[in-house]
Amino acid sequence: MGILSWVIILGGLAIGVLVGLNVPFLIPQLYAKYLSVAILAALDSVFGGIRATMEDRYDNTIFLTGFFSNALLAAGLAFIGERLGMDLYLAAVVAFGVRLFQNLAIIRRHLLKK
Amino acid sequence: MNRKIYLSVFLVALIIGLMVALQFRTTSSIEQGVPFGRSQELSVELNQLNAEKKQLEAEVEDLIQKIQQTTKGQAEAKEVLAGELKKARLDAGLVAVSGPGIEITLDNPSAGQNKDPGDTMFVIRDEDLLRLVNELNGAGAEAVSINGQRIMATSEIRWAAPFINVNLTRIAPPYHILAIGAPKNLTSALEISGGLAEYLQSLGAQARIQPYENITVPGYTAPIEFRYAKSIKGE
Repeated sequence: MGILSWVIILGGLAIGVLVGLNVPFLIPQLYAKYLSVAILAALDSVFGGIRATMEDRYDNTIFLTGFFSNALLAAGLAFIGERLGMDLYLAAVVAFGVRLFQNLAIIRRHLLKK
Repeated sequence: MNRKIYLSVFLVALIIGLMVALQFRTTSSIEQGVPFGRSQELSVELNQLNAEKKQLEAEVEDLIQKIQQTTKGQAEAKEVLAGELKKARLDAGLVAVSGPGIEITLDNPSAGQNKDPGDTMFVIRDEDLLRLVNELNGAGAEAVSINGQRIMATSEIRWAAPFINVNLTRIAPPYHILAIGAPKNLTSALEISGGLAEYLQSLGAQARIQPYENITVPGYTAPIEFRYAKSIKGE
């Protein structure tokens, strides 16, 4: 983890935020819920990736596929739940939320061990 | 290999930043505006109301059309009724009518005709007028009046000594009888030999018959009141 990687991460984040803030259109309210679940899944993947890096078993393919498929699956689950009249996105929120905190806890331990 | 990892990390960071920023903006805009559920509710309601409005508008149009039809029908009906009323009034003898006809002037034997007034026992009585009216009607008279009293379905000609009542009105000689009809027919009906004119003249009464191109028979003017007779329903 050199300075370059931090530059890449922060630079990507900054460009993404800048673009997101300046895009002329907004997500329709109808889809905002799906996007939020997708963000949660994506964050989970990111923290999973960080954890894997710290455990020295990071796999780029797994990271990328996990990132996209988790996000899409979470959004799709929320969408299907909406169609079925069931708050299925809660399942995604709970599952990804739990995993997110687990990953965070593991990352914290790795950081403390160093 | 390293470059690939950097690229994917950069891509993921970019996408996360984009999504978070977008979601942030969307959420803040939702908080400023109407809550999503509420707006959905309202839009559903709006759709319903729009549909309802459309339906009501169609109904209004339909009703307007019906009203127009009705008014059209009403105007027609009014016209028909007015025509019917006019005809009924004409039939009943409530309106003055004019046309070709004859005038009959009847008078009692004048006192000067006979030397002795006591001898002239004869006066024109209700029966004579009744016969006269009967003859006229028989000859096709369409309207008859005696001294301005139109003879209608309920008219009486009645001796109420020393006068004659027609339509509850006293009439006095000389009697002017107007009749509308074919003058020739009416005249010949009266002047037929052995007819009414001859009979009256033989009794000394003065009877004069005068045909006219155009005479006017007055209408019945007093109010008509039916106290007992009721029309049968549906007629």
